[in-house]
Amino acid sequence: MSGYYKKWFWPLALPGLILFAAVVLVPFLIGLFYSFTAWRGTYFVGGSAWSSFVGLENYARIFQSRQFLHSLVYTLQFTAMAVISISVAGLLLALMLDYAGKRVALFRTIFFLPNLLGGLALGFIWQFIYQNVFNRIFGEGGLNIEFLTNMTQDSTKNLFALVIMVTWQMAGYMMIIFIAGLNNIPRDLYEAGSLDGVNMWTKFRYITLPMLMPSITIVLFLTLASSLKLLDQNVALTNGSFNTSMLSLQILRTVRYTQPPDYGQAQAQAVVFFILVAIIGLIQVYITKKKEVDA
Amino acid sequence: MIRAASSPDVHKRSVRMPGGRIAVYAVLTLIALGTLFPLLFLSINSFKDQGAIVAEPMALPKDWSFVYISEALSQINFGQAAFITAGITILSVGLIVFCSSLLSWMLVRNNSTSSRGLLLVLTAAMLVPFQSLMYPLIHQFESFGLKNLPGLILMYGGFGLGMSVFLYHGFMRSVPLALEEAALIDGASIGSLFFRIVFPLVQPITVTVIILNSLWIWNDYLLPFLVLGNAEHKTLTLELYYAKMLAGQFSNPWELIFPAVLGSIIPIVVLYVFLQKYFIKGVTEGAVK
Repeated sequence: MSGYYKKWFWPLALPGLILFAAVVLVPFLIGLFYSFTAWRGTYFVGGSAWSSFVGLENYARIFQSRQFLHSLVYTLQFTAMAVISISVAGLLLALMLDYAGKRVALFRTIFFLPNLLGGLALGFIWQFIYQNVFNRIFGEGGLNIEFLTNMTQDSTKNLFALVIMVTWQMAGYMMIIFIAGLNNIPRDLYEAGSLDGVNMWTKFRYITLPMLMPSITIVLFLTLASSLKLLDQNVALTNGSFNTSMLSLQILRTVRYTQPPDYGQAQAQAVVFFILVAIIGLIQVYITKKKEVDA
Repeated sequence: MIRAASSPDVHKRSVRMPGGRIAVYAVLTLIALGTLFPLLFLSINSFKDQGAIVAEPMALPKDWSFVYISEALSQINFGQAAFITAGITILSVGLIVFCSSLLSWMLVRNNSTSSRGLLLVLTAAMLVPFQSLMYPLIHQFESFGLKNLPGLILMYGGFGLGMSVFLYHGFMRSVPLALEEAALIDGASIGSLFFRIVFPLVQPITVTVIILNSLWIWNDYLLPFLVLGNAEHKTLTLELYYAKMLAGQFSNPWELIFPAVLGSIIPIVVLYVFLQKYFIKGVTEGAVK
């Protein structure tokens, strides 16, 4: 039997493996190598990739670049805020739908709806809302909340503008995952809790939350990855003006604003970006998996 | 005694206070309106001229004129762009489903150290941001003459693979080997073994793979931007991007942009209304693994 599958392994696995190698693996490895060269996109400064090897020079330069460092910090700030905001909003929605019980299909459909739409399309709508509707409601003569006006024209305010927007967009997705998790909790756990006369908060803290750990792992993984890599909404809302570039956009801009386009430096930024995403992703999975086992 | 005292609806998970549920429904309704607000806002402003949009953004249009919508649809070459986007999405997702289901099946049935290593590499690729390989990728594909629509489809095929193999692999482990053995004894070929036994059994996860990949490929901006750029044949998202960028960052002609955004999101919203059961199920299945 195992000999039969062994015989077919290469013919059937090969299409996928070739595609993966050509699109992901090989370009990734080449990219690693190019980050140590003076690559200009269409040519190498020294003639060939080997002869334009510059060691860590690209890395030294990007860590002196204020723009790059700013986008790095900006991305981390955004990610921290967005992950908390999206997960908490998704959990609250799931708990409310769970509590409400039946006849919630329409709510579920509506809450998930913004996920279908592209970040660019949504960003354009929100740009107008922030620039026009918010200014009208919160501006002078309105509620007079200065912080909520001109949100797309200030680095710090734009951080909140982005968080509001992605929360609106992604909370419904996380809600679906949490609902699936809530449905997996055995009912007799709550029965036992009721018999012991514990209150709702205690039930939530000691039954719901620990039992939800698998869902929390997935939600954190998805929100972390999408927040760190966010690009479309960033392009649509400000396109990086007023010091609002996140890392993805910064890497795109590096080749546009250097002459000749410094692909070597952009590639070094991209490698740092990868290391950042990989480390954060692995730490998160490690910690939450550990909690799952403990719980 | 305690048992008798507990109410008959003890199987429900929380103690329900009278009125509590009504309050929750009220809050949910408010949030639902808030969720829909940007989309309703988009819709009503797609029927107004620039002056009316800027002066009275919250007001209903005075006369429901379709002139802005038809203007915008022709500006973004709606018919052609929708066709191209649908074509790219369908072919890419087909490629992903075909390659990743076969690959996962072989990885599950040949459970050796090397296939576990392969699976690890494939799933680890989910952590690789597109930015860290996009420039070499475009460069390589260009040198093969693939900086075009077919190349774009191949790229999506490769990118979708990691997550899809992860999903299929998790699901296929539960397909009993005995079923396949029985079919083999009955003289089934490798083709009918896969397409008549395995593939139908993993159909729920295929729905997930289709939905999750379709969503990002349909809406993707960066890859078409890098591969196609401002070429004649563009995707919907790309048309929208250029419509906005060419119109200028600060002098925004909203009477063009709003109906263009509306046009670009209508196909997927219509699809969602009809297939929402599959959307929700697909997303849920993907999360539970």
